Amino acid sequence: MSLLVRRWAPFLVALALILGLGAFWQADRERRTDHVGNRAVVDAAATSEAQSAVSTGLLQVFSYDFADPAPTAAAADEFLAGDARKEYDLLFKQLQEKAPGQKLVLSAEVQVAAVKSLDADSASLLVFLDQASQRSTDKESSISAAQIAVEAAKVDGQWKVTALDLF
Amino acid sequence: MSTTTERPTGARRDATAVEKDAPEPPSRRDRVLTWALPLVAVCVLAAGMVTWWRASGHDQEMVDEAARRDRVLIVATSHIETLNSLDYRKVDEGLKGWAAVTTGTLHDQLTSVSEEDRKVLAEQEKITTGSVMDAAVTELDDDTATVIAAVEITVRDGSASGKDAEPTVKRNRFAADLVKVGDDWLLESLEQVAVNMS
Repeated sequence: MSLLVRRWAPFLVALALILGLGAFWQADRERRTDHVGNRAVVDAAATSEAQSAVSTGLLQVFSYDFADPAPTAAAADEFLAGDARKEYDLLFKQLQEKAPGQKLVLSAEVQVAAVKSLDADSASLLVFLDQASQRSTDKESSISAAQIAVEAAKVDGQWKVTALDLF
Repeated sequence: MSTTTERPTGARRDATAVEKDAPEPPSRRDRVLTWALPLVAVCVLAAGMVTWWRASGHDQEMVDEAARRDRVLIVATSHIETLNSLDYRKVDEGLKGWAAVTTGTLHDQLTSVSEEDRKVLAEQEKITTGSVMDAAVTELDDDTATVIAAVEITVRDGSASGKDAEPTVKRNRFAADLVKVGDDWLLESLEQVAVNMS
């Protein structure tokens, strides 16, 4: 027995050391692995960050004053990208043409914005948005309630809306 | 003088004896090799295993919560559709369905629909079908949750005169509170998210 132990002991010790260190390495790898594919709701901080960025963006983008359209245009620059940007530009152009004649004022408010899915650099949300429009030419005013599916992407640390889909 | 010449010879003889078949007294180095090193190795192995095991469950809580969120969303979608659907030919069945997916005061309201109201529902001859276009969880705890949903409600006229009429379609925004009862999530409230401009 003594001979057997003597011959194999060094190998066993080495094996135990290697396995032990391997386990530490695996543990480290495991700790850095993300098992949650969709972090919506479960990552409270990231969820509310996306939520408030998108809410702020939509509120500004869907608010408009014929007398001072600059803030709306600036908000579009800041919060919109991709397809959403292209579609919005078309809409905005039409608005710019008819708004001064009608003295149109739009004001938007986000009722609820809920995050459906979220990872490090993309998110999709469901947003309930109210928009009031007032035309001072004929004192006409109306309020509309919208349900919007929003896709957002994080670009340089800032959430931007990349797609808007109204139901 | 003679002792100095003899000592090395004796030492040399000892050394050869060790090499051949000596039960030598274990040196410090040998003791370390036979006991300390294996002990360290076993400790490293054990500690490594424990660390690995603990690391593998580091975000288990989040994984569980994510699963709960997904489940709530599926259940809420189905329940909201149920509560927005009714066929005038099967009023009792429909109301039973409403009762089955609700709890609390909402459940009480839906189960206490009078015979008269049931008759009215049947006589209106409407087939209402709710379909959730999109939904999301806004709040989630161990046994309560809030879900918002965009719902398309289609109403068909089942009466003889209205059979060929186009169905009317409207879109509604809902917020629903759910509670976990046993293993099931049930609707505790379902309300329209009204326009609210300040």
